[in-house]
Amino acid sequence: MALINLAAREINYKIVYYGCGLCGKTTNIQYIHRRVNPGARGRLVSIATEEERTLYFDFLPLSLGTVKGLRTRFHLYTVPGQSFYNASRKLVLQGVDGVVFVADSQISRLDENVDSYLNLWDNLMSQSEDPSNLGIVLQMNKRDIGGIFSVADLTELLNHTGSPVIEACALTGVGVFETLKTVCKQVIAKSSRT
Amino acid sequence: MARRRGLVINDEQMQMIDGVLTKLQRVTSSSFVALISTSGQPITMVPADADADTLSLAALAAGSFAATRQLAEVLKEREFTLLFHEGKESNLHVIQVTEQILLLLTFGRETQVGRVRLYTSRALEVLKPIFEDAEDTSGGDGIIDGEYSRAAGTAIDDWFPTQNE
Repeated sequence: MALINLAAREINYKIVYYGCGLCGKTTNIQYIHRRVNPGARGRLVSIATEEERTLYFDFLPLSLGTVKGLRTRFHLYTVPGQSFYNASRKLVLQGVDGVVFVADSQISRLDENVDSYLNLWDNLMSQSEDPSNLGIVLQMNKRDIGGIFSVADLTELLNHTGSPVIEACALTGVGVFETLKTVCKQVIAKSSRT
Repeated sequence: MARRRGLVINDEQMQMIDGVLTKLQRVTSSSFVALISTSGQPITMVPADADADTLSLAALAAGSFAATRQLAEVLKEREFTLLFHEGKESNLHVIQVTEQILLLLTFGRETQVGRVRLYTSRALEVLKPIFEDAEDTSGGDGIIDGEYSRAAGTAIDDWFPTQNE
């Protein structure tokens, strides 16, 4: 849910990066944290295991500045990708405005991608609020390595909503900001009355 | 399926909320009182100039509270409505106001926990009706319109780097 504080002239949106384990969700957030203007970002908070796998979530607040008199913020979260952390994923999805589904493009990760995608929709539907009001972007990550699916094949598998698709390599930053910009614009458009 | 709900807080509601929080801070001798959403977003805090990273605090407290509710479910308890962390120098108390709102207080060891619980429960009685009125199903109360969308779109294009630099 977008949270609008008229007294403070402030609006906050929540965006969640979703996907299977090791697909690059945290890498996206870390790249954004490194490259965005330090004045526009808050602290990157990570709740991770000793092996640096996400245990609960990563969190990065970003400020867009003041738009039409409203201070506009985006709060970026990741979910833990490993299948047994579903309870945590459901919690992180609470009140979400936009989702970036990060797909691992490798053919060997087909089952994990599909499981995660189905799990995303199961969890969204269980929130009892209409997911068609969410901004959704499909990021195809790891496009720089061999043994990967074509864009058309991954789109067929993981994009039943016809959402925007962005090819990326989160490690080097290719497509990372394009993804972020696309989902930010989507959540604002979806929350707009007109 | 219901339309997604948002939360819109106007000037009058915020004045009432800040009044309740200021009084609560005084009577409980808390160092810091804040309202946050269950989705992890800060709403307001008293004192306004408190030296705290409220964005991180809100995200972590909301996550922690959500996990506590799930613990209740696992233990077949109907609900745990509050969360308490005891530290060496300070304590953190988080309690649910409405389905979408949490109240968070930090206070030192000189303050009795019972006192905090008593006055917090009184504050909840005042805060609950305010937030029931603030729940929004109208699409941002008309604030987020086409003009805002276009201006935000331009700001997003200008703000984030377009290529790897």
